[in-house]
Amino acid sequence: MQFPLSMSDISLWIAVTAIILLITSELISSYSESFGSFAIEKQRLRLVALLLGMAFMVTVLLRVVAPT
Amino acid sequence: MITKNSKEKTPRRRRRRVNSKSTNIKHLIEILQRVQRENELLKQELLKSRQIPSGKIGFAFLIVGALSLVGSITASSSTLAFIGLGLSFWGALFLFTRPIKFVRGSLLDWTAVSSYTTIDRMLEDLNYKGKGVYVPPYPKDVYLPDYLKGLKEMIVFISATGTAEMPTIEEMARKEFLVKNPKGICISPPGYGLMSLFEKEMRTDFSHINLESLYDILPKIADLGLAGEVEAETENDFIHITIVDSIYKDLYSRERALKSIHLIGCPLVSAVACAIAKTTGKNVIIVKDKISPDLKKIEVWYQTIEG
Repeated sequence: MQFPLSMSDISLWIAVTAIILLITSELISSYSESFGSFAIEKQRLRLVALLLGMAFMVTVLLRVVAPT
Repeated sequence: MITKNSKEKTPRRRRRRVNSKSTNIKHLIEILQRVQRENELLKQELLKSRQIPSGKIGFAFLIVGALSLVGSITASSSTLAFIGLGLSFWGALFLFTRPIKFVRGSLLDWTAVSSYTTIDRMLEDLNYKGKGVYVPPYPKDVYLPDYLKGLKEMIVFISATGTAEMPTIEEMARKEFLVKNPKGICISPPGYGLMSLFEKEMRTDFSHINLESLYDILPKIADLGLAGEVEAETENDFIHITIVDSIYKDLYSRERALKSIHLIGCPLVSAVACAIAKTTGKNVIIVKDKISPDLKKIEVWYQTIEG
């Protein structure tokens, strides 16, 4: 019983998700907080996008410092 | 002869009374039906606002994601792991980015109507015809003796005759509703709370900035979702504000025919008047307002006057 994803898999997943969120937060920055009947907290979305971007950078640094 | 006439008149009077009663009842039924329709519309609005599904979707994603992560470990499947990671992440994101409280703009507008109707009734009853004068409060850090402490609150003075004469500071400090000399009423501005919110959100005390800085700050009101666009500029001796797609635009509709809305402005217009009064330290009046037929664009001209 082992988690089936390696560090590089997780790094790639984080990178893709961070890019999607960063693009979304940039695109909706000029809109108000409600889109029809859907409401979203824009600042929190941006925060999550930036955190994921930083997480990806951390995984890259880990792979540079300790390559497997 | 007299008795014959009076006998003829009595059935006529009765018929008239019956007719007027039936028209009154018809009118009342119409009002009742209209109120019921409005009530139904409000209920639907409330239901719609309650049925925001992002919370339920978030929980569903989280549960399915967690299950598929567990499944990926037991089955050693990387595909299941990716699915689990994705679902649990998006589920958590849906819950995290959901606003704490989301209220439809139309609800705000409906809650404000009763205050304006009350002011309308008061002005009509007292037969007051003056414009609303926004009187700036004294800054919080300024020391005032106890009997003048009431001056730290912002008020709108509506005079009986429309003269430029203002009550003395002692009278205003007494926090009276009816002012005797000159005749008028003192009420709290409907937008004072909003102005305090602007100050809090923008981390600015409007009494410590100048008018130019206020012009730069006012367009940011749109970021709070209260209007689509806000523009401020100086036009001759007036301060001209253009508000596009205001959340309170329906208060200006002809069906409602509110009079006080043109005297003291809607909460947003009133908040801007409060901000101008606080920034300049001068009394402010709403000289004129112009509303586009589709209510999308509200233009207001303010003027500062020496107190």
